[in-house]
Amino acid sequence: MYSVSGAAPWQSNGGYGQPNGHPAYIPVPTRNPYASSLPPPPTYVPQPLNHSSPAPPTPMTVASPAPSNESKKKTEWSPAVRAYVNRCFAAEHQIPGIERSEMEMKLREVITNAAQSNMLNSYNWANMPLPQQMIAEDRKRATLGLQSVPPNFVPPPPPLVPLSFIPGSTAPHSASSGSAVLRKRKSSEMSAESDNIHPPWRSKKGGSLEDRMSAPDKRPRFDAVPMSSKSNISLEQRKRRFDNGGSGSSSPRKNGPSPPPAESLGPVVGRSEKLEKNYFRLTSAPNPDDVRPLPVLRQTLELLKQKWRKDNNYGYICDQFKSLRQDLTVQHIKNSFTTDVYEIHARIALEKGDLGEYNQCQSQLRALYKQNLGGHPHEFKAYRILYYIYTCNRTDMNDMLSELTPADKQSEEVKHALAVRSALALGNYHQFFKLYNDPPKMGAYLMDMFIERERLAALAAISKSYKPAVRLRFITEELTFESEAEAAQFILDHEGKELLEEKDDYVQMKTNNRLWEEAKMAAFKFVDIKGQI
Amino acid sequence: MSILFSNFHEAQRIGDGPALASCLAPVNSVSDPKRLWSFSQLSNYQTVEADIRYHVIQDRNAVKLPKQEANQWVQIFVCLWKCIKELASIESGRGGDWNTAYKVYKDLCNNLIRGYQSFNFPAWSVPCMYTAGKYLRILAIKADAEAAHAASNGNGFAAGMTDDIADTSEKNEKLQDAARTLQLMVAACRTDDSDLSESRKWGVISVANLLFKTYFKINNLALTKHVIAMLESPGTNLPPLEAFPKAQRCTYSYYRGVLEFLKENYAAAEGHLSDALSICHQNATRNREQILTYLIPAHMLTSQQLPNRALLSQLPALERLFLPLCTAIKSGELSAFDKALSDAEVELVNRRIYLTLERSRDLCMRNLFRKVFLNAWDETKDPATGEVIGKSRRTRIRVSEFEYGIRAAYKDAAEPIVVDRDEVECFVANMIYKGYMRGYISREHAICVLSKKNDAFPGTGT
Repeated sequence: MYSVSGAAPWQSNGGYGQPNGHPAYIPVPTRNPYASSLPPPPTYVPQPLNHSSPAPPTPMTVASPAPSNESKKKTEWSPAVRAYVNRCFAAEHQIPGIERSEMEMKLREVITNAAQSNMLNSYNWANMPLPQQMIAEDRKRATLGLQSVPPNFVPPPPPLVPLSFIPGSTAPHSASSGSAVLRKRKSSEMSAESDNIHPPWRSKKGGSLEDRMSAPDKRPRFDAVPMSSKSNISLEQRKRRFDNGGSGSSSPRKNGPSPPPAESLGPVVGRSEKLEKNYFRLTSAPNPDDVRPLPVLRQTLELLKQKWRKDNNYGYICDQFKSLRQDLTVQHIKNSFTTDVYEIHARIALEKGDLGEYNQCQSQLRALYKQNLGGHPHEFKAYRILYYIYTCNRTDMNDMLSELTPADKQSEEVKHALAVRSALALGNYHQFFKLYNDPPKMGAYLMDMFIERERLAALAAISKSYKPAVRLRFITEELTFESEAEAAQFILDHEGKELLEEKDDYVQMKTNNRLWEEAKMAAFKFVDIKGQI
Repeated sequence: MSILFSNFHEAQRIGDGPALASCLAPVNSVSDPKRLWSFSQLSNYQTVEADIRYHVIQDRNAVKLPKQEANQWVQIFVCLWKCIKELASIESGRGGDWNTAYKVYKDLCNNLIRGYQSFNFPAWSVPCMYTAGKYLRILAIKADAEAAHAASNGNGFAAGMTDDIADTSEKNEKLQDAARTLQLMVAACRTDDSDLSESRKWGVISVANLLFKTYFKINNLALTKHVIAMLESPGTNLPPLEAFPKAQRCTYSYYRGVLEFLKENYAAAEGHLSDALSICHQNATRNREQILTYLIPAHMLTSQQLPNRALLSQLPALERLFLPLCTAIKSGELSAFDKALSDAEVELVNRRIYLTLERSRDLCMRNLFRKVFLNAWDETKDPATGEVIGKSRRTRIRVSEFEYGIRAAYKDAAEPIVVDRDEVECFVANMIYKGYMRGYISREHAICVLSKKNDAFPGTGT
């Protein structure tokens, strides 16, 4: 099946196969598995007899012809190729740190690959990145720990291959070899030992670096798990780079859509100048262009504060704050500014009754306060106490009490919260409502969450112990309703209509009734903890 | 080192569970203080499996075990050897870390569990589970301590792609992991359908106790619900609690009692804790103290009775805690009560009984009001002579009298307490509401009308 001339079949331009011109194989159009995700490769018209270079199933023949191939082909290099080679060696294109010998080796690889697939004339040498650039990129990627990702489209089967049915005794051989190569093909997606065989339709734009890289590139490719999304992303970026590259040779590696640094490298250094930014959950390493550095974030905070005062648009503010927090996190900024941000967000969330967000901020603040980064630890400790009261969380309350330092207990907010706690523990509703009248900072919002059930409890106690009735005035004052009307409304809301009696100049509520007791039991039964840690 | 194996074979021969279990303990024993070191010298990482296989299976004195069981024991001993090697290095100060020791011991536990589940380890050997679990727990605690020490004091940043900056993950990782393994053990013990005399179910309480201990340590009491459900739900066919050994019963009842206590089910708590106390050995002072720490507050709240001095004097630690409180309560001195409570606050909070004891302030106040009541006489005067001929108790007490009472209770206090009339009414209302007093308040007349039937203060005889 091979030409008897002694030279490997691909070394002669014509006469593949039998000397009599019959092809030794039947070329089959190779698969294009990635047709959907990528732009269609430039059209390649298979020229069955001339250009497709069959790789004989025996591997040993692959290696040996390479050098001779190169030498043979020397004379056939196109001017474009020569220009490329010249560029490689030009002084201004040297990248420090890359040895000339390395560069040469790489260059040889590139050329050999191209030649073997007979793409010498089809590659766009003008746009091809220089070997030094390839090496630099590989190194960068190696240090970043990214897998050198074979794009997830299968480097399609070398055109040389054999789904061929060679008549006669060779049939099983090639069939098996076909399958062998097929199998090999599969692993070659993942492993680095794919030969320097390239599908004919590898794009003119140089395609991706992966196929130009071969064995010497021992980047660990054991990651057989589909890296589809990541590889897609990096592939896209690489393509973009070559598109944008123009004369990719002259511009040094652009930092444009560079592959994002891996999370493991450490903090990102942001570059964005935009003050506002919508929040998106991170699904991969963040792009420095979107991340705002600290000075910008400070301005953002001021802007947000103004906007909150002016517009009071919680949805927008919450979104902005979350992205603020995200930027702080990815840049590993942990200082008093961070504490500020979390505190302000927590307060805003409290004001709007967003307990989920408040809880998140609160748990972060706990960790931050431990490192003494400033802020208002007393205030937020007081909020925690009030929150535990709300959730009836005795165990955590107990732990909280054990954590409080004497300094904490001196602070006004904590004192207030503790007084609330003990008043409620003893059922001293009188004291409790007095405290409710005047809570420090934003404690009122937290207390609002359980004020209703405490009112029910107080009414249950009053109802049992006073006879025959109590004036509405009394209820209004004791339970700190804004007005008698509000108190009456409350009673009515809880099905207390029959209890209200109008007298000459006042209204009274009959006592000694099970209504309030039952309402109280119902209210205390269910407490929702909304994402608390 | 072969002592270990001869112990193993002996235990297997006679079917002695505890002896077998002691083979799995990675500690130096009193009789053999160099046990760890000598065992670790037995072999090396390359040949350990072969060596152990020899000792377990092929040795001349070896007991013949069924093949699969024997293989499983080989695996178990390999893990044990690795763990002991690690421990020996730690002991001699030459490197080694608790983390590895923990991991290897966990493998041991998993192998043990598998042995029971798939390879038919005999039921009499079930004490092994307890021993293995116990040491697993201890190793986990050490590994966590090591990790906490090595960690950078909370300066770490949240790993991975989170939005928030601080790492709020647990610091009890290994212990939680151990808890999961222990749960598997309990499940393995429980799901044994063979006849009760040959069943693994006898091991279930001891392992459950370990699990309770662990949950308390990691402060995740919610998970205890599952354990209890596993053990007490009707379909489980466990032998009754009374049939288990006393020691295990006592511990189990204690934990159950404490869990009920923390959920404020004081009646149930009292039940369990009294059980525990009755079984508890007279000389086990520390245990009795612990049980009483919870039993006393629970009893105070359920039956409004105070512990008597005889009981308290037996246990000085408790006496220190409770005595001042009880004295104040008896005499109704609110200020003394407050002072005693705040003095003991730290300790009480540590034992989780502060919040409960706070409630006993009601008892104190009730006693105070009772005093007021007892001193409120109606004098019946002879209509003719104006002499006082008799006294009878008034049942209508003015609210102002209660107010004076409270002021009096605080007259020794450092800062004068200001109570207003409404607050006093609130106090009285609470007393009535909670059943400490029987009667009602009439706001119009500003008096409290108490029951005439001698139970104005239920439970006290007046």
